[in-house]
Amino acid sequence: MSESDRSRLQDPSYLAQRAADCEREIRKGIVGQEEVIRQVMQAMLTGGNVLLEGMPGLGKTRLVSTISKVFDLSFKRIQFTPDLMPSDVTGTNIIVKNEQGNSFSFERGPIFAHLILADEINRATPKTQSALLEAMQEHTVTVGNESHTLAEPFLVLATQNPIENEGTYPLPEAQLDRFMFKILVRFPSKEELKGIVALTEGSQAQPVEKQMDGEELLAARAVVNQIPVADAVMDYLLEIVMETHAPNPHIREGASPRAAQALIRAARAQAFLEGRLNVSFQDVEEAAYPVLRHRILPSFDAISQGVSEDDIIREILAVRKPQV
Amino acid sequence: MEQKEFVNIIRAYRHRLNLAGFLKKLVFSLGVGAGAGILFQAAAFFTPFYGANVYTAVSMLLAIAAAAAAALVRRVTMEQAALTMDSFGFQERIITAYEHREDDGALFALQRKDAMDRLKEHRNRIRIPLWPDRKKTILSALLLAAAVGLAIVPSPMKERAKELHQVQKEAVAKEEEIEEVLEELEELEQQTLTPEQLASLQEMTEGLQSSLAEYGQAVSADELQAANDKLRYKYDAMSGQIADLAQSLQNGASVSPITAESMQAMADKLQEMSGKSADGDKVASGQEGSQGDGQESGQGGSQGDGQEGSQGSGQGDGQGGSQGDGQEGGQGSGQGDGQGGSQGDGQSGSQGDGQGGGQGDGQSGGAGRGTGTANNSHDYVSIPNAVADSGNLTGNAVNHDNSDYFRAPNGLSWEGTHISYEAVIGSYEQNAYEGIATGRYPSGMESVIKDYFASFN
Repeated sequence: MSESDRSRLQDPSYLAQRAADCEREIRKGIVGQEEVIRQVMQAMLTGGNVLLEGMPGLGKTRLVSTISKVFDLSFKRIQFTPDLMPSDVTGTNIIVKNEQGNSFSFERGPIFAHLILADEINRATPKTQSALLEAMQEHTVTVGNESHTLAEPFLVLATQNPIENEGTYPLPEAQLDRFMFKILVRFPSKEELKGIVALTEGSQAQPVEKQMDGEELLAARAVVNQIPVADAVMDYLLEIVMETHAPNPHIREGASPRAAQALIRAARAQAFLEGRLNVSFQDVEEAAYPVLRHRILPSFDAISQGVSEDDIIREILAVRKPQV
Repeated sequence: MEQKEFVNIIRAYRHRLNLAGFLKKLVFSLGVGAGAGILFQAAAFFTPFYGANVYTAVSMLLAIAAAAAAALVRRVTMEQAALTMDSFGFQERIITAYEHREDDGALFALQRKDAMDRLKEHRNRIRIPLWPDRKKTILSALLLAAAVGLAIVPSPMKERAKELHQVQKEAVAKEEEIEEVLEELEELEQQTLTPEQLASLQEMTEGLQSSLAEYGQAVSADELQAANDKLRYKYDAMSGQIADLAQSLQNGASVSPITAESMQAMADKLQEMSGKSADGDKVASGQEGSQGDGQESGQGGSQGDGQEGSQGSGQGDGQGGSQGDGQEGGQGSGQGDGQGGSQGDGQSGSQGDGQGGGQGDGQSGGAGRGTGTANNSHDYVSIPNAVADSGNLTGNAVNHDNSDYFRAPNGLSWEGTHISYEAVIGSYEQNAYEGIATGRYPSGMESVIKDYFASFN
């Protein structure tokens, strides 16, 4: 790497520009879903894992595939099914014949990639789901007595179908907490649908090009991690998390401390993508929904009244206004 | 340098925010103060509330003080000022830059530069109004105007409150005066006195305490007037009693001369206070006309003419012997001269209003001289023939220009209507009871008067 390349990697403005280019490039391959793209970009810049929830056919796989191209990262898709075994994800030791005789050799599973699309993660058994835990949290895979470090940047993007419950294994709270974001992929509008059809069925498809490599992404993550946060903004953020533990008839269990960490990281990434080097109240508010919605356990009342997690978060944000 | 400028900009907005905060609090507080003032003023229209204006002014002053105190206590910090500036679309750039103004590192420097550039570029966005919301300001001003307006508008109840205040003020002064006299009486009681003398002093003390209670309950000029009348009467009576007591003590020489002197001094003081009370009455009530006969009594009359001299009209002064014993002397008014000789003759002037005069018998020498005027017209003046025949009568009774002179051995009689005895007694009784009700008589006398009239039934 040349000296100029090294200095560029330390230039926040350059990296912010590159991140903006990436986002723009992804939009070329994905019609609509701007909020989803922004949130996935935040996850990319913070290293957080993402749980995408949406109906089939909304472009979740395409999104991940496009991201891998834009960031020039290796991408693997794992289709989770009830009979999928942990070794099918992590890899396994196999017997290899060579000149010295037979020996065990570790055959890497599909998890050894930069970007993992765990498709329909809730269809696999808890045993297999938990095989992802170590990879998601520690970025390592342990098979037998040997731990294997995953290549950075490493990111898991899991999908799940919100409607199908038959033959599924809902993710336990501990595993849900390890996902930084839960992103809702909504059905596109008519205009967006028109664009999707034109893009996929017509000849308007434009090839997506690489805008950033893994090294630049890691440098951008380092910058994002250092973005200063004002005390008032930090207080506001913490109050939001604390408010999930305040007596509320709609909340059975509030967010974990990991939520506060995820919230500040997401807010920083949001500021970075906006071209700012400071976190605003608005950044926190925007990050609150994907960060908190899978960390708040709604009460029976909330479920029976049809109050969603987003409604609860909206309520909390309304109560906890920034103190200006 | 740029950082200093950055901080100075925030400081300037901080000052403005503090001023705006103070004005906001001031307008609010004045509104509250004016609201309280309106309540005070409204109360003054329905109840005698003399201090309404003072309370209104105090509530205003308190409001201003509270606003100043609140503004001082809750003054804006630099961080709050920066946050407020950020609320004009700077997305927390300014507060972040301010809080990390001392931090080293490229990222912090870039952030500060970004904040400063934005601030320079969009400083005109920051608009912090000095004055609070116009509606609130107008509302406070209206409340203020209403409070002042209500304070200016006159009302009968305000006049009543003024009168009551005056009454209370005078009552308090009188109470203090009575307290002083009571203390002196208490000192006198410490002396070696006979049980009778002590009882007399005790009676005086009780009388004054009764007056004290009357002043405490006085809520109108009439009541104050009544209390004054009673007090004056008491002072007058006490003066005589104490003077007598002093004289008897001196004669008996059973106490030190100092005690007798102090008693005499007190008697003189009470006499003086009695006169002062009379003067005060005129100021307080302006009713001297109706009381004219009674208030113009000569001091000489009381001493020289006898026990009823005090009721005589006219500013008489005289030197009567202490043992003068006129029976009806002094009820005559006008320029009467009393000269109590050994026979204690009293002479009333032709313009006087006396119903009887000069038949008292003085046992010792004494001369009384009273001068006075009376403007009342009179139908009839009767004097004993003995007085008329004496050379002491001044003036020419016979052949007077404006009056007729009759002489009869057993008094004159006129034709007129017949009034039954019961009607006369009933009329007197009614007057007496009205007098009791209005406090015309000295305290303690009410029961005597009632008993007196009860004895006729």
